[in-house]
Amino acid sequence: MEKKYWKSLEELKIDYRPQENQGENLPDKNALAELFDDKTISSNSSRRDFLKLFGFTVTSAALAASCEMPVRKAIPYVIQPEQITPGKAQYYASTFFDGHDYSSILVKVRDGRPIKIEGNTLSSITHGGTNARTQASILNLYDDARYKHPAIDGKETSWEEINGKIINNLNSAKGKGEKVVLLTSGIISPSTRWVINDFLQAYPNIRHVVYDTISASGMLLANEKSFGEKIIPSYSIDKAELIVSFAADFLGTWLSPVEFTKQYVKNRKLENGQKKMSRHIQFEAGMSLTGSNADKRIQIKPSEEKIILGTLYNLIAAQTGNTTFNSEPCKINLTSLAKELILHKGKSLVVSGSNDTENQYLVNTINSMLGNYGNTIHIDQPFNHKQGIDKDMEILVKEMHEGKISGMIMYNVNPVYDYPQSELFIQGIKKVGFSVSMPVFTEETAELCNYICPDHYFLEAWNDAEFKKGQFSLCQPAIRPIYNTRAAQESFLRWTGKPDAYDEVIKTYWEKNMYPKSGATGFYDFWVQSLHDGIFEPDRSSASPQPKIELTGLSGIFSNIQSIDTGIEIQLYENVSVGNGKYANNPWLQELPDPVSKITWDNYAAVSPKFAEERSLETGDLISINKEFKLPVLIQPGQAYNTISIALGYGRTTSGIVAKDVGINVYPLVRTDNKNRQYYLTHSEVKKAGSGHQFAQTQSHFSMEGRPIIREASLEEYLNNPVSGNEMHEEVDKHNQTLYKEHQFPGHHWGMSVDLNSCVGCSACLIACSAENNVPVVGKKEVARNHEMHWIRIDRYYNGDVEDPAVVRQPVMCQHCDNAPCENVCPVAATNHSDEGINQMAYNRCIGTRYCNNNCPYKVRRFNWFDYTMADSIKNNTRDPEGMTLDLKRLVLNPDVTVRAKGVIEKCSFCIQRIQDKKLTAKLENRKLQDGEIIPACAQACPADAIVFGDLNDPESKISKHFSDSRNYHLLEELHTLPSVGYLTKIRNTSSES
Amino acid sequence: MIIRHNPVFHSFSRVIFFTIISLSSTLTFAEDISEPLGNPDHSENHLNAFSLKKGERLFYGLISLGENMPSCASCHYTAYTDTLNWNPSAYDIAGSYSSKSIEELRMVLMEPGGKKMTEVHAGYNLNDEQVELIHAFFINLNESQAPPKKPVINNLFIFILLHIIILLAVIDLFFTKKIKFKAVHLVVILAGTIWITKTVVVESIAVGRQKNYAPLQPIKFSHKVHAGTNGTDCFYCHNIAERSKTAGIPSANVCMNCHIIVREGTNSGKFEINKILTAYDNNMPIEWIKIHNLPDHVFFSHAQHVGAGKLDCAECHGTIKEMDVVHQVNDLSMGWCLDCHRTRKVQFVENEYYETFKDYHAQIVSGQMDSLLVAQIGGTNCMKCHY
Repeated sequence: MEKKYWKSLEELKIDYRPQENQGENLPDKNALAELFDDKTISSNSSRRDFLKLFGFTVTSAALAASCEMPVRKAIPYVIQPEQITPGKAQYYASTFFDGHDYSSILVKVRDGRPIKIEGNTLSSITHGGTNARTQASILNLYDDARYKHPAIDGKETSWEEINGKIINNLNSAKGKGEKVVLLTSGIISPSTRWVINDFLQAYPNIRHVVYDTISASGMLLANEKSFGEKIIPSYSIDKAELIVSFAADFLGTWLSPVEFTKQYVKNRKLENGQKKMSRHIQFEAGMSLTGSNADKRIQIKPSEEKIILGTLYNLIAAQTGNTTFNSEPCKINLTSLAKELILHKGKSLVVSGSNDTENQYLVNTINSMLGNYGNTIHIDQPFNHKQGIDKDMEILVKEMHEGKISGMIMYNVNPVYDYPQSELFIQGIKKVGFSVSMPVFTEETAELCNYICPDHYFLEAWNDAEFKKGQFSLCQPAIRPIYNTRAAQESFLRWTGKPDAYDEVIKTYWEKNMYPKSGATGFYDFWVQSLHDGIFEPDRSSASPQPKIELTGLSGIFSNIQSIDTGIEIQLYENVSVGNGKYANNPWLQELPDPVSKITWDNYAAVSPKFAEERSLETGDLISINKEFKLPVLIQPGQAYNTISIALGYGRTTSGIVAKDVGINVYPLVRTDNKNRQYYLTHSEVKKAGSGHQFAQTQSHFSMEGRPIIREASLEEYLNNPVSGNEMHEEVDKHNQTLYKEHQFPGHHWGMSVDLNSCVGCSACLIACSAENNVPVVGKKEVARNHEMHWIRIDRYYNGDVEDPAVVRQPVMCQHCDNAPCENVCPVAATNHSDEGINQMAYNRCIGTRYCNNNCPYKVRRFNWFDYTMADSIKNNTRDPEGMTLDLKRLVLNPDVTVRAKGVIEKCSFCIQRIQDKKLTAKLENRKLQDGEIIPACAQACPADAIVFGDLNDPESKISKHFSDSRNYHLLEELHTLPSVGYLTKIRNTSSES
Repeated sequence: MIIRHNPVFHSFSRVIFFTIISLSSTLTFAEDISEPLGNPDHSENHLNAFSLKKGERLFYGLISLGENMPSCASCHYTAYTDTLNWNPSAYDIAGSYSSKSIEELRMVLMEPGGKKMTEVHAGYNLNDEQVELIHAFFINLNESQAPPKKPVINNLFIFILLHIIILLAVIDLFFTKKIKFKAVHLVVILAGTIWITKTVVVESIAVGRQKNYAPLQPIKFSHKVHAGTNGTDCFYCHNIAERSKTAGIPSANVCMNCHIIVREGTNSGKFEINKILTAYDNNMPIEWIKIHNLPDHVFFSHAQHVGAGKLDCAECHGTIKEMDVVHQVNDLSMGWCLDCHRTRKVQFVENEYYETFKDYHAQIVSGQMDSLLVAQIGGTNCMKCHY
């Protein structure tokens, strides 16, 4: 089947026929000058100067060097800890949780410093998966924009003094019976809850208010109505054969994306004889990561969700013998969807990302009618991380404003930045008698507080977590606190008047509560085992109750349903990189291309092509929204007409240098409706307000010029003929012959396979690769010049209608061709082929001609235009806009990988350091390498297990099986480059469409 | 990890300036010791410049300590040297004793506990004033500048001299014409040029290499005594060499395994061993100087070579057993590495890992091959060491 793929609107418009006036397409000579700094151009060094310098440099350096070599020291421990071997990495099980994302992790520590985060495969929640933010969290440890010491009114102080003052304040408020509020994010740590309960008991005048940045209040209230408990159920997406999602970006940001991705792809892998695939239908406005993976995507306005859910309810209720209600039906025909859902009764799942109690209640009733509770939805294992009820926060802000609150203690919240009515909050906090904040990073809220008691970063702290009820995990420090910080829990303990260390409290709590459930003999053994595993999941019965939902109050909801013209709607969402903005000061995340728009270092207003055409808007134009917010426009294929999607989490005002002035803060656009914060806005006023914004987009400059790069088929076609969509592979294989001597691989022959059906595009691999391989950050200006350095990229192609395209993604890294075009053209043999099939790159030999880069058909080689890493000591070479060369930040570098200097090419090495390490381990243990023992960073991070790495010489290995799969093909295989990377065709479950 | 360039000179005048400095520092070296060291105001005891001078002269023997009492400086060097001198140098003693009381210094000088000290300090009888003055001198010495480096006259001197001679020869050849035989000029110019070229080539190759590098360590630790005379196994101290990237410098507690009992050495007495005790007691790590350095773009693993490859330490490090001061025996150049990779046999049959190499394995089992070289299984691939 012939499909025309396109990567951007510009490309779709390009006419590939030969042009008469070719000169117009040639690059502008003046543009070359932009490559250099003004400084470089204005300096008046001539060729003569160069020769003079060169001559003297060589001679005098040679001579001077014989008398000067830097003295290097080797400083051993005084008493070496038994478990530590200098030069070898240790792994500590821990837990990543920031109030929103959760991952059970292993922290790789090399000679005392954490350098990488890997997934913990023992966890039954994340199963070793991670997401981009988890991977990037290692860099935040070395963020210099952290609070470095306790402070009173901005002045440094000691812990004793700050404790004394806070306790005085608390006692005086208690004595007078004044209201004090403890404002926190949802707390999943049972020990922290214990500590806070003690604290609240010691000061009965303190009220605990939970505030979640991204609220799930609607869901909590809907479930209270349905089941009498404010809970968020957990899901088994792997058991669902039909998934219908209403704007829930469950693969990207919704509730537990890592867990959901694991479950989602389990049903979509077509290997080991699996012939079944789940079907996924997404209703949404903006193109989300989840929506772009759906088998069918239906564009709706956010406000239309209720009427669609109502119609769907009525259709299903009519067929399942439940009460139907009179209401206006929606414009979309849902009859076939209802039929399909009923067909998959008990094996389907309807979810909604809405924060509207009524929408969520409708979803509950639909799921209940479909018998999904107990099968794909579990209310007995709820998630604990979202606990905030929006009304509570609203009342609090009102009380603050009225001066009724005499004290505030804030933990893990930043409402000044992310509360919609932040102005009200700011005015309110000024009326509060004393305010205490326990932040980790420099933030807007703490700046307004009297007392700053900086908390440890999670990699420095002890903690525990119960993300899902009954599934516990531990968090242990991997490094001694870098700054003069104190665990927030210890702050609570001190204020309660207890001298205990928090780790002892956790131990006591676990001895009392977890140990009896374990059946272990002796608490010490249990504790050591739990700490080693990082998790403790006492056996629980898998049978989940099927709650019956009383269909009460539905008539009220239906009476609210009406279809009206809502004008232009704004949808606010979290993206997969900076998310809710907490980690906005992380340059890795800022430079991560959005999986859909491929834009870095910005948020933007995404509009549909039709909308743009009507208002003559172009990408890069500026629009004003409600006369207040000025944002650049991006024309996004697949965006629902008359809607605009904008990412939250940008526009931080108080943070480090990285996040400052990146994008616009659109939290103020969030409004409260039906008691909950709504992340959309109707009847918005949009006006063009300028043009010329430059995006740093990694989109159209890697274009593969319309060749058959992505191969796909529908499930039906695949089941009929397993090679469908991939017929070309066989054809190319037939012509596979050469006159040249072929490479011999006597031992290993490494290969990698990417399952395009599994890859959802979450981009965890990009960050993992950057962390593992010291890939530099180049900053917005350089990305805009196409100088980004990522060793692995995820190409995204559209096909079909501009207004409603299908999306395919393809991770591309160095293909390690066995007949590599780059190797032949290197004048200094800096890149050549190894005996294990790796296209090796010797940086110290590279002289920077970039011939290889030019000759690589995959465009995976990256050139260091500047010294981004301070790898050489020539000052003017360094270009580091994001502070990555600070001594502290450099601690994150992997000591096993060379830091590349200016003027050399770099690229994916298949994580050669990991290959060599595992080979050495095998040799030392006198055994053969096991299949699957070597896991490159990208494959390790992948929550979808889309990347498989192994030895092609071993016929039993997983990679060999993938390579012999009928779906396997290689990128541009017709060029006879013989890549060592294979792709498995994308299969879409579009067959059962009626 | 970090690739750093050596500082380079930008103009010829810098080079000349450097020569003058290095020459003059050689000449003034002898005078250095007679000058008062440092600023007397720094002294904690507020001793005046006169008594400091007196203490210094006592130490150097310019004022006699008394009959049959050779000066302190005759045994305790006032500068670091290349050869191993077991006696602690003046700086060393100053470092240890300036913080201790005068009484303690007097005890050590006059009533030493150690065998060696008792022997060499026998007959020394200093009065309280002398001890006090010497103590003050130590304090001052400790506060003064870092120990002077041994001045080196290197090729640079000859290099510049030759340039001048060649220049003179050229001038005479064309202008002054004082020497009539033109062959003389030509020989001078030719020989000079050849020497200069040779120097540049040789020195350029040696850039960043440290063959024969033998820095003095903070403790006069002798591998000859430990590994040679006492026959301690290399792996007793460097016990991670077989399993880690680095061979590992033993932590102080490993030293203490023996030195908790062995408190005095035959050569060095108690002074050097005391440094370990002090480090151990004060929880201060010992800052050894690293001798074998590789560029940051090279990955080298001891575990691979010692653990898997079963190489003997001496094959790269030389006969450490016979070295009091360890020096780098091989230049650790890439050529040197590759020479070995091309000629060394792999532990092919012994290690089951190599069964992965099926064809080679079959050939060896059937006797068609008797052994395999490192290079044959990819030992010369770039990414064996560079990544």
